[in-house]
Order: sequence, then structure tokens, then C-alpha cells
Amino acid sequence: MILKKSKSLLNILSTVGLPVLFGALIYILWQTKVLHALFGTDEIILPLPDRIGSIISDNFTNMLPQIASTLIVALGGLVLGSLLGYFIGVAGAVFKKWGMGGLTIVSAFNAIPLVALAPVINNWTRDLSNQVDIRSTVAKIITVTIFCTASMSVNAYRGLTEVKPFSEDLFASYGSGKLKMFLKLRLPNSLPYVFTALRVSVPACVIGAVVSEYFAEQVVGVGRQIRENIVKGQFPTAWAYIAIACAMGILMYVILLIVESIVLKNRRAR
Amino acid sequence: MKIINKILSAKSTVTAVWVLGIVVIWEICAFIVEATQRTPINVLPHLYQIVGSFFDTKPITGGGDTILTLVMSSAAETLSRALIGFIIGMVLGYVLALLMNLSHIVEKIAFPYLMIIQMIPILGMAPIVLSITGDISSARIIIAAILTFYPVSTNTLAGFKSVSRERHELMRSYGATKFQLYTKMLIPSAMSYFFTGLKISAPMAITASILVDTLQGGNGLGCMLSQSLKGSMTRFVFWDIVIFSAVIGVLSFYLMGVIERALVPSKRGKKKKAVN
Amino acid sequence: MKNKRLLAAILAVCCTASALTACSNSSTSSTATDSSASEASSAEASSEATSEASSEAASGLMSNEEIIKKAASEGMVGNWGLGNEYEIQALLSKYGQPTDYVTMDFTMDQIDKDSITLASAMTYNELGLIKNSYDGGYSYGDEIGIIDMNDEGVAMLEDMLFCTKAFAEANPNTVKAFTSASMKGWVYACEHPDEAEEIVFKYGSSVSADHQKYMAGEVAKLVTTDTKGNSVPAANVGQMDDEAIQQTLDLAKKYIKIDDATAAAKLQELTLDDIRSKDYLTYDGGAVEKSDVKIQLKWLPQSQFMGYYVALDKGYYTEAGLNVEIVSGGGDVSETVAVNNGTVDFGVTWVSNLINANAGGMDLLEVAQVYQRSGLVLCYKKSMFTAQ
Repeated sequence: MILKKSKSLLNILSTVGLPVLFGALIYILWQTKVLHALFGTDEIILPLPDRIGSIISDNFTNMLPQIASTLIVALGGLVLGSLLGYFIGVAGAVFKKWGMGGLTIVSAFNAIPLVALAPVINNWTRDLSNQVDIRSTVAKIITVTIFCTASMSVNAYRGLTEVKPFSEDLFASYGSGKLKMFLKLRLPNSLPYVFTALRVSVPACVIGAVVSEYFAEQVVGVGRQIRENIVKGQFPTAWAYIAIACAMGILMYVILLIVESIVLKNRRAR
Repeated sequence: MKIINKILSAKSTVTAVWVLGIVVIWEICAFIVEATQRTPINVLPHLYQIVGSFFDTKPITGGGDTILTLVMSSAAETLSRALIGFIIGMVLGYVLALLMNLSHIVEKIAFPYLMIIQMIPILGMAPIVLSITGDISSARIIIAAILTFYPVSTNTLAGFKSVSRERHELMRSYGATKFQLYTKMLIPSAMSYFFTGLKISAPMAITASILVDTLQGGNGLGCMLSQSLKGSMTRFVFWDIVIFSAVIGVLSFYLMGVIERALVPSKRGKKKKAVN
Repeated sequence: MKNKRLLAAILAVCCTASALTACSNSSTSSTATDSSASEASSAEASSEATSEASSEAASGLMSNEEIIKKAASEGMVGNWGLGNEYEIQALLSKYGQPTDYVTMDFTMDQIDKDSITLASAMTYNELGLIKNSYDGGYSYGDEIGIIDMNDEGVAMLEDMLFCTKAFAEANPNTVKAFTSASMKGWVYACEHPDEAEEIVFKYGSSVSADHQKYMAGEVAKLVTTDTKGNSVPAANVGQMDDEAIQQTLDLAKKYIKIDDATAAAKLQELTLDDIRSKDYLTYDGGAVEKSDVKIQLKWLPQSQFMGYYVALDKGYYTEAGLNVEIVSGGGDVSETVAVNNGTVDFGVTWVSNLINANAGGMDLLEVAQVYQRSGLVLCYKKSMFTAQ
């Protein structure tokens, strides 16, 4: 028992500790410019971490509105895209014959260059409002929504349909109706699949938000700052925003993992 | 694979209705756009206009290219870069998955960083890669590879891990060496997961190549797409490239399926729980 | 069978897209603007600005100040950002307005649809598109009024030739040879804009011939007229007018906003000598140190850069012992970055972009100023700003 506990503790320690150690190593190599020598690049293109850090700490209050704007777009698109994806998955599971056609089509979204769509989506929302912030935010959220729909719909469909055959038989033998079977069996069964989908779409929604901001009409957001600063040759500032974008994605991913472990644990305990 | 089989069995009528429905909805929207907008082709042109423009014989560049020849020659350039990037990404992803399965330490170190690399915007990465290679063309290939290896390695790793403990023990009881363990059991069993990864990353390689084209001028699809968006050539080039890249993306997805069927004849209707 | 499924998939993607369009359209009441002005010829733009404005005054058109204040208060001023916004911000500040702007894509769709009322335009490019009726044009003709940055006193100099300071010091003859051959190309191009346009077209530009021709004419004006409207003689093409560059630098220091404290401090310390050198304008025939050189343009291949294409086509570079490759720009690996990391040797950029890059730690040096005046204007539909 004790052995098992200490083993799992060791496991957690190594899961967290090893990447941190590796990160520290990279940090040292970076700060001492070994990384620059290795890549043959200079401090202008790849600024030193302490400079990036000081830019973030100097400007953090100015950066907050940018972060908030990106977060709204990312979360808005994630929620809408996941709901839409789940709905499509449900439609696919309920109306098998017709829904599947739709599902294939949604999967084909992956094959479209998203960057190409972003400017056109601006054209679609142009008549929506005279306020640039409203129409621009809507356009960005649509882009992220498209980004997040596909993986959710495919996974939701799998979760809803890939139930164990015997449990289906069991429900049938109790004389449960289709609706009851759906609510009591299929929906709970799809939960782990929903989390599988979210593991893909949570990082994707941040990337999607960043990319959609490149082309947005309103000059705001972490992604926009990255592009402005890169094109203007202000790499340290650009890297500060890149670091923020990464941190946002990782933070959201960690939150997802925590929520997942809580939700799925309760479920298993039941 | 079950899902796909299901589609196959019911598809012909369903597909016809879907196609018809989509065409109708598109055209209705296009008519609304045409009636209300001054520049409808910037918002949503008619389908027949897009298809028609593709075969327009009017030259659109000083070199005498029509849209068709322009798109095709750009596609040759971009797709060849995508292919090389995809192959590099595939090999890299597979090797990494092997390493991660061989050593827990490698897995624990690499996994979070793989994710972080995916989070770095290409825009930030491009100047660094460019300064390493000193040449935009190879920089483009490398970035395409970076963007595509993640699904391959995560899915393959999931495939290695899916092999049950019982089978591991069985192999060990036969006195199989580690090498045999991999060649006889793990690698074959992970095949379908590996292909799931390829199916995700093949369209991504194409998308990524188009994306990295836009970083600097040149002759790729992405360059033409951005020129068209920036108004320096007809907007139909943009629409044609969007449609064309979607077709190629979907084709690449199916091509992976074909290759899988050809290479893995023993492919039984195994259940997959792959990422995505 | 398979093809059908593919087609279905692709079309469906588009279907969803168009469904979204339908949503946005159902809530609109936008009507197409009357395009009766479409027959108007490709009117001359920049230089007539002031006289045009005064003649319009009688018909109730607002003054520039009123127009700027109205558009700014409504949040309807557009620019592309990415380093192109400083002149507009300087102008907005001049009239006491906040410096926010709406990002324009690289079309004139937004002003066309009235989602902005005051749009940035380059005299040689967007202004031609919005006025003229050739392929890709919006056919507004004389309905479009303009506010010229030169007249407003906020001109910042644009297209110029640069390389890194280190490259210039290591290869002085190459830089001199390249600069003087390029300027020879510019002189010829400005004297023969129609021929220059054909050369650019031949070198793979995809801009329509009509627009290319318009562009060549307008670009020639920018190269041969200074900010005050005086003409620049052929011998002085490429000259660096200290007063105009100083004004550019002063405005840049005021309006370039940098989060990075080190770079911000460096920006304020920059002097003329940090950003430009007049030593490379004339070439007296020394052997070139490096004969294979590349130049990256600021934008897509078009008449904006006709001088370089002419120099290439007419063999001016070859005469100077150079083997030149022209790389087009317009991507996000900007010309300053490409020159700095040595991917290309020379670049064409705006002075403000070079100042920005040098503040960020690069060491770039302007060697010739091609455009002698600002080509940026704000344009508007006169009907939007006519007092009733």
C-alpha cells in the first residue's frame, strides 16, 4: 500500500518534474545564447527570455485588454463550436442515414485553409453592425467556431453510437424507449469522448483566435499584437505576446484536464 | 472504419440530396448577395461563376497564364513542398512516438513541449526557421513538417499503448526480444492508429503549406491567394484556390485510406479510440 | 461514387459558409450605391487635391478638418496598420482626435459599403481602384474626394532602398553600383511610364494592365515631385532631402508606440545619421565586392517598383557587373527582417518601417530615397460629407 502510494507520488513528481527540468535547461541555454549559436540566429529574432519577461511585467496592465479580447473570442468560439459540433453529432446519431452525410462534410472542414476564410468572413459580417468592435468580434468568433466544430462532432458521434452492445440489449430488455435509452445510456457514454474532442479543440481555439485576429477589422488582441510587432520588426514585444498566447493555451488545457479528471472520476465512482 | 463503412452503404441517395441541397442554399445566398452587395464576388459568387472562371481562357498575368494554368503551376509548387514536409513530419512523428514508447522519461519530457510547439504561431516561428535555413523554400518545408508531425506522433503513441497487457505478457512468455516485440506486435497493431494520424495530418500539411506560402512572395498557392485577396488579381483566383485546396485536402484524406488498405491487408474492423 | 462524396463534402462546407452569409444578410438593409460616375475617366489624383477641394466648397462639401473630425468621432477612419498607420495618426492628432483606426483589408470594400467613411489609399493603387472603372475598380470617379498628407504637413517618406549597415560597409562598391543602376532605372521608368508598365507586366505582375498603367503614372509623380510640390530633376532622383526625412523621423518618434522599454528609448535617440547615408548614391566604377544580389520588394510585383524592373530589363544592373534577383514581398516575413538576416541583400521599405526596425535592434541603412513625397491619402465619398 505504502509502496504503491510512494510509487504514484514518484510518478506525479516525474510527470511534473522532468518537463520542468527540461524547461530549465532550455531556459539556461537560451539565456546564455547557446541556443542562438545552435540555430545560427541572433538576439533580434530570438530575444533573450529576461527581456521578454521584463516587457511582460512592464506592460502587463496594457496587455490585459488584449488578453481579455482574445479570451472572449477563443472561449466564445470554443463554446459555440463545441455545441454546434455536439448537435451535429447528435443529429448524426439520431438520423443515421442523413446525419452521417453531414458529419463527413463537417470533417472536411479540416481540409480548408482557415486563414483563407478569415478575410471573407469579415465581408459577411460587415453589414451586421456599424460598431467595428461588434462586427469584428462576431467575425472572429465565427472563425474559431468553424475551427472547433469538426473534432467535437466526430467524437460526439462516436461517443453516442459506440456503446457496449450488451448495455443496449439490457436497456431494450427493460423496455426502455428510444428517448430514455438516449438520455440514460448514450449521452453519458459520450462524455469521455467529449473530453477527447476538447483536448483537441481547446488548444485549437486559442490558435484560431490568434489567427482570426490577424485579419480582423478591430486592432485588438494578442494575435494582432504578434503580427503587428513581427511585421514592424519588434521581435521582443512579439515574443512577449507569443509567450502570453502559449500560456493561455496551456492554462486552458490544464483547467480542462482538471475538470476532466473530476467529472470522469465522479462518473466512474457512480 | 465501421463508420466509414456505414457511410458507404447509405451514401448514394444521401449524397445526391446533400449535393442538391447545398447547391440550392448556396445559390439562394448568392442571389441575395448579388442583389444587395455592390461587389458580390468579394462576398459570395455564384457557383457557376467560380467553376466558369476556372476555365476562363483570358490570361490574367503578364506571363499569359489563365486562372487554370496559374492555379495548377502554383499547386505543383505548394503541393510538392507539402509532400516533402508531410514525409519529414511523418517520419519525425513516428520516430518520436517510438522513442516516447521506449522511454517514459522521453515521453514525460517531450509531451508537454510537443503541445507548446503547436501553440507557437507560425508567424513567430518563421523568422527563426528562416534565419536557420537562410532560404525561404526550405523554411516553408520545415514549418509544414513541424505543423504536421504532432497528430502522427500522438496517434501512433496511442496505438502503441492500446496493446493490452495480456498480449504483452504472451509475447514475453514466448521469450520475444524487445526488437521482436516491436516488429511482431506493437508496430503492426499501431498501424491503424498511425494512419488515423496521417489522415488528420495530410490535409493539415496542405493547409500549412498554403499558409506558409503567404509569408513571402513567390509562386505558391498561398501567394496567389493573398495576391488575389489584396486585390492585385481577380477575386476568382481566391475562390478557385479555396475550392481547389478543399478538394485536394479531402482527396489526401482518402488517399491515406487507400494506402492503408493497400499496406495493411489484415486490417480488421478494429475499434479505434484515436485522438480526434 | 467516391467523387460524388467528395463533391458533397466540399459543397457542404461552402453551404455552411453561405448559410452564415444568409444570416448576416437578413439583418442588413445595405443598398448598392449608384455607380453613375463609372464613366469618369481615370482622374488625376494627388496633385490636384487642393484646387479640387476649393472648387467643391461652393457645393457644400465640408472642409478637410470637418471631415476628419466627423469620421474620427464616428470611428470610421480606416488604415491597414502594420506600420502604415503613423501618418494617419499624426493627422488625427493634428485635429485633436483619438488615434484609433479601423483595420482595412487590402480592398476598398469597406468604404464601398460605408462601413468606414474615410479610407486610407495610396494614390497609385487603392485610389485608382476606387475611382476607376476598369477590372477590379469600384467606378466612383469624381465622387471620391481626397485629403493629401503632403498638404496637411504630416507627410512621412515611403518607398526607399536600404540594406544593412554592415553590408554597406563591407561591400561599398556593390551598394553604390546597385543604387545608381536602380536610380537609372527609375529615371527611365518615370520618363517612359507606359513602357515601364509593360516591363513590370512581363516580369510576372498579375495586376491588370489598365491599373498597372494608372499606377505607373502616379508613381512617376511621387518620384519626381517633393513634399512641397516642387519637381525633382532626373539627376536628383533618389536624393535624400534632410528636411523631409527629419520630419518623417520626428513623426515616427511621436507615433511609433513600442511596449519594449529598451527599444522605445533607442527610438528617441535615433538621428538622421543612424538611418540614412548619402555616400552610396553615386558609383564611380570600382569593382563590385559581391555580384549576385537579391532585393526584396515591400509589396507584390507591380508598377510601384517599376524602376527596379526597368533596371533589370534594360540591363543596367548587368552593366554595373551585378546579377540581380527581385523577390516580391507582401508576406509577413517583412523586408526589414529578410534584409537583416541576410536572406536578401537589399530591400524596399518605408522610412518609418526602417526606423521601427532600427529601434528594435536592427542596423539598417537607407541608401536612396525613391519616393520624394508621401503617396498616402485619405479618401472619402463626397456625398457622405456634404452639408445639407
